[in-house]
Amino acid sequence: MSKARKYFVIARIHVQNAFAYRANVISGLLYYTLFIFVFFSLWQAIYQEGSVNGYTHGQVVWYLIATELVVFGCRTPIVSKINEDVKTGAMAYLLNRPVHYIAYQAAAAVGQILANLCFFGVLAVALGFLFVGPIPNFRWAGIPCMLLSGLLGVALQFSSMVAIGLTAFRLEDNSAVYLIFQKLVFMLDVFLPVEFLPVWLQGIAKALPFSYVAWGPAKLFVDFTWSLFFRIVPMQLLWFSVMTGFALLMYRSGMRNLQMNGG
Amino acid sequence: MKRHLKIALRYFKVNLASAMEYRSSFLMQAFGMALSNATFVFFWWVAFSHVGGRIGGYDFADVMFIWALCSSAFGLSNVLFANVSHLTRLIVTGELDTFLLQPCNVLMNVCCARTSLSAYGDLLYGIVLLALTQGGNGAAWASFALGVPVGAALITAVGLTAHTLTFLLGDASLAGSMSVEFIINFCIYPEGIYQKFVRVLMYSVIPAAFIVHIPLRLARSFSPGWLALWLAASVLYCGFACWFFYRGLKKYESGNLIITRL
Repeated sequence: MSKARKYFVIARIHVQNAFAYRANVISGLLYYTLFIFVFFSLWQAIYQEGSVNGYTHGQVVWYLIATELVVFGCRTPIVSKINEDVKTGAMAYLLNRPVHYIAYQAAAAVGQILANLCFFGVLAVALGFLFVGPIPNFRWAGIPCMLLSGLLGVALQFSSMVAIGLTAFRLEDNSAVYLIFQKLVFMLDVFLPVEFLPVWLQGIAKALPFSYVAWGPAKLFVDFTWSLFFRIVPMQLLWFSVMTGFALLMYRSGMRNLQMNGG
Repeated sequence: MKRHLKIALRYFKVNLASAMEYRSSFLMQAFGMALSNATFVFFWWVAFSHVGGRIGGYDFADVMFIWALCSSAFGLSNVLFANVSHLTRLIVTGELDTFLLQPCNVLMNVCCARTSLSAYGDLLYGIVLLALTQGGNGAAWASFALGVPVGAALITAVGLTAHTLTFLLGDASLAGSMSVEFIINFCIYPEGIYQKFVRVLMYSVIPAAFIVHIPLRLARSFSPGWLALWLAASVLYCGFACWFFYRGLKKYESGNLIITRL
């Protein structure tokens, strides 16, 4: 079987898997709706009692819908899976197979992510129109650029999750590392647009990878400009390369130190 | 009652001792959870710095109070009764048999059989947050001290009721996990941001108001009427959860699974 076809089959199986577990899909859709409803109510209260510069209420709700779409789209158990493979020794069985371990995980995640984006994408658009109507001054011509930035955001999140999962080679328990990464992503771009942060923090946030997971694509989605596009996408590419390089480095160094005891 | 508390205490000691066997893992999980919760203080700080006054009728200290109380109540619930979230699996696989054969209260035995390591972080985080944001406010501490065990009992009761549906409808793990998520989400935001129909739900089906919002009201201006209503509603809710569990248990059919509990 050709290399590309092998990974295509793995991705296809994971798409089928995602559709098979209906309870997971339903719970994900309910969570997504709950988050959007709670934050819609919260921002409505904030906009009633004060004003927030730079974003209208409609824009901030659509912003949240877009950032949550990236986060929910990336909902794969990859960190816990790699963790488990390293700790239980299940990795030994996967290493014998004619696939690269990281590429196998990537293909599996692509399948799951594609399915997630289908489910949550439809719900996201429906909820946006239901709560606040269309995005004010939406730039239709920018859609391909928004999609590119969205894909890079998902890719950056995925490579970061693989790198965190592989820290299991070094740490006894890496769940705290993932929790902290998750919360930094939430605070520096998912719940709050970078423009809402204190001025001294905005520069730091824009230099770190966390903001390019969801803030970049969501900002382009609600307020597209070419200059913004040319600022965000190169940073996404840079951080994606750094995180992928780091993940591969962790993998190689982990493989060198891996000890397998047969039986 | 004394016997039940003795079982709960013994389980707590055994669970804590087994957690401490993997000390670094335990500390990492507890510390990670506390740090993860702390990021929300930043979110609220930014939100209030934009608005300046109140959001949904709550000021910054009020929001920190409900966060502290919710975190500690959730923590205590999962330190003592973490096995509730595994109830569906126990029923579906037939592992409940083991608990039925033991000479002690089934519900207490099932609920206390497991602890959650990260829940210690939640429990501690709430206390630290309260100390940092309410200082020496005696009313806030009194309401918190009573609110944590009551809230823990209510959160446990919500999860128990949802998982008990498995006896009647089949696998209800989705309802079980969703119910606690829903209740936490309605506990950590000001009550006033929601429309009236949601607030009605928060005072009835989803008892979020009894976990954090009424204790906050009592901390800010004490009223014996609200205190009585709070305690009575909480006892009723927990009583219903226990009754519902035993009612569901009558429908349980053993799968004759043979397992060993060490």
